[in-house]
Amino acid sequence: MITVNKLSKAYGAKAVVSNVSARFSARKLSSLIGPNGAGKTTLLMMIARLLAPSQGDILIEGRKITDIRIGDYARQVATLRQSPDFNLRLTVDELVAFGRFPYSRGSLTAEDHRVIDEAIAFLSLQSLREAYLDELSGGQRQMAFLAMTIAQRTDCLLLDEPLNNLDIKHAVHIMRALRRLCDEQGRTVILVVHDINFAANYSDHIVAMKGGSIHCAGSVSEVVTEERMRELYGLDFEITRGERGCLCNYFNPLGELE
Amino acid sequence: MMSALTARVPRHAVWVLVLALATAFLFVRSGFDFGYVIPKRMARLAAMLIGGVCIAWSSIAFQTITGNRILTPAIMGYEAIYLLLQSLLILFMGTQSLVVLGANGNFFLSVLLMLGYSWVIHRWLFRDGRNNVYLLLLLGLVLTMVIGTFTQFVQLKVSPGEFSILLGFSQASFGRAEPGQLLTSAIVVAAVCLAGVKTLPTLDVLSLGRDQAISLGVDYQRTVRLYLALIAVLVAVSTSLLGPTAFMGIFVANMTYALARTFRHRITLPIGCAIAVGMFILAQLAVEHVFNYRTTVGILVNLVCGVWFLALMLRTRGTA
Repeated sequence: MITVNKLSKAYGAKAVVSNVSARFSARKLSSLIGPNGAGKTTLLMMIARLLAPSQGDILIEGRKITDIRIGDYARQVATLRQSPDFNLRLTVDELVAFGRFPYSRGSLTAEDHRVIDEAIAFLSLQSLREAYLDELSGGQRQMAFLAMTIAQRTDCLLLDEPLNNLDIKHAVHIMRALRRLCDEQGRTVILVVHDINFAANYSDHIVAMKGGSIHCAGSVSEVVTEERMRELYGLDFEITRGERGCLCNYFNPLGELE
Repeated sequence: MMSALTARVPRHAVWVLVLALATAFLFVRSGFDFGYVIPKRMARLAAMLIGGVCIAWSSIAFQTITGNRILTPAIMGYEAIYLLLQSLLILFMGTQSLVVLGANGNFFLSVLLMLGYSWVIHRWLFRDGRNNVYLLLLLGLVLTMVIGTFTQFVQLKVSPGEFSILLGFSQASFGRAEPGQLLTSAIVVAAVCLAGVKTLPTLDVLSLGRDQAISLGVDYQRTVRLYLALIAVLVAVSTSLLGPTAFMGIFVANMTYALARTFRHRITLPIGCAIAVGMFILAQLAVEHVFNYRTTVGILVNLVCGVWFLALMLRTRGTA
């Protein structure tokens, strides 16, 4: 479990995240939602230790994350930022092998190769193993990066907008994979997601943020209600629940936009 | 997969070529004079070897850290500081400075000054845990220009004779280095390389960028500072030994990527060293035997590297 305790982040006088406390249960899929500038990504980056908080602390299994060596932390928490950009010519295989760095520091063991094979099979990327990243589509690239994160074999995965710029099929593919990571492998997944319908249909737990603070948090049925969504986004919502899950319709809101 | 990957790399071929070039350099038109000509050439060869290793290592590591393939550590202002020192020495002490300091004095003073310079700017930029490589680059670039202008100002004040001495300092040359300096440099460079070799896989991870590297458990701040320090030592040694090499590092690094076709520093760094050393020997051979000292190594290196690099870019259509 990850506990965030009175966490703040400010740049100069501007507070991006202020006094946020939240809990992310183990072996659950939690989504961070909210409008742009709500501080979702900032919160996620602080949990990932890519940003240092101005105040407050973050605990993982009751331990302050700053007390854990960064090399050990990489065996507990893996992070994937949105579309990492670099000018390396790498194959999918080579990229996924980087996921084993926290364990083998560059010289792969038989165990590492087994885990890499598993991660690639988990996302059905076998046919792309030898392909170069710059030859892949955006969706395939994202899957390859996710495979690297999976190969890191951490209890917890943090993903910053993993569905960004993906077509609907790749988006479903990624969300299913994340769901399976929770259900089949007992991993904790925390992601920032903008598509409210994906969040509503795939999450166990939703944390909604607005203006740097927690707006509301709880199970999907508690958070995804017409009233709360209206408050969060300032848009009129119609939420229908059917056999295949719930659908949030905000495309044609009634009345004027605020 | 690994074997297929390394098989494509002409690692040994490059070194065989360098060995052949070195042999040619030592013996062509030497008259097999082991008393004078060959020992002199050995010294120049040693300078090229040390300088080549410094340039390849520092440029490739620097490009990895900055995630940019058109930079060399020269942008940090090391060479500008070196030239400023030489200009000031001439301005205040005149040609006398050559005698007072001696070649060794000048060498060690230059190394110390460049190390001190890099220590100060790293220290200032990384104070209280800050870490911004781009700010470091910007500062380096601005300082390079400021110091360069200052140097030009100083150069206007000196006599034409003294100016021609300064001109000599501003161009790479292998004949300047004394055996004592070569030995010291070799020991320092070997120590730096040994310290670096252990962390090469970490450098591979750094090429994924800061965020991904931290996420994979790299202590980013410590690693970057360590490497910037190692780079500073290498650049200080090579500049003091040979003089400024300006942007040769860009050519060396990019040709290495094109030939090695891998991101692994365990493979790219040795190839880079071979390319840099080979390039130096070739240029020096041409200067000594073809152009009869009417041109300089720096000019030839830039010309040859530039043309070759352009050809590579065109042939591989941007994947270089």
